[in-house]
Amino acid sequence: MTPQESLRLITETMNNSRKAILQGSANHFLLWGILLTALSLVIYFLWHGTGNPAWNFLWFAMPVIGYPLALLLRKREASIPKSEIGKLSGSVWTAFGAFAICLSIIAVSLVPMNVTLLIVVLLGFAECISGAILKNWPIIVAGFILGVGGAAAAMLLRSTEAQLLLFTLGGVLLAAIGVIVKMQYR
Amino acid sequence: MLPKLDPLLHSELRLAVISILSGVESADFTFLRQQTGATAGNLSVQLEKLTAADYITVEKGFKGRKPCTTCRITPSGLEAFNAYIQALQAYLPGAQK
Repeated sequence: MTPQESLRLITETMNNSRKAILQGSANHFLLWGILLTALSLVIYFLWHGTGNPAWNFLWFAMPVIGYPLALLLRKREASIPKSEIGKLSGSVWTAFGAFAICLSIIAVSLVPMNVTLLIVVLLGFAECISGAILKNWPIIVAGFILGVGGAAAAMLLRSTEAQLLLFTLGGVLLAAIGVIVKMQYR
Repeated sequence: MLPKLDPLLHSELRLAVISILSGVESADFTFLRQQTGATAGNLSVQLEKLTAADYITVEKGFKGRKPCTTCRITPSGLEAFNAYIQALQAYLPGAQK
């Protein structure tokens, strides 16, 4: 091997390895994006149809459905190596999940608050950080728009049902990130 | 005088393995085989050589019921890899000026 060939081999191997790792994270964006979109639409239509806000308790089904599916996905990707990118990204979304669940429980049982606003900001923030970890500008911008724009919309939209559609938008954005990352690192 | 290139790393498959492991915490045998396109036998032999030089550690275990071989780069492996890259740069055109 010439020195040039060696350097090319190192660069190509590292890039391919990084692509494989990022492809794995794209699957998780897709999973949570589709789940968030589907669940927000189901809750919206049930709430809109019946006028009963109790349908919001269905949000607690999100971790119940999502985490086993995410574990299943991880089992399927068993050979994808452990990396700092995966670990950091996982920590960000675990923290988001913990915040979202705790805030929802507090809002329901202790202190009433605009949970939509809080969660949409957290969702945008988590997306922004994920974009920074993946070094992907479209994700950073999408997260920023979702967080800041979503917070403004949550304050402006009077109907709490309509506010739910912000989560649909968030879900679509998450799934879109999955598709972008998959296409970018194919 | 040009620096000597580490002969252990100056081999296509071993260099590919070390390059992959330098960017991750650990990688399993299947992933290394997929990424390098090597045969299982050849990869095993090269992993043994890297292990003998203390450049990587190999851990055999199970993921569920399936056997799994996990490889990690060691600090001395990482040091050798960085030194190899530095040495390579000296060979590039214009580096001796």
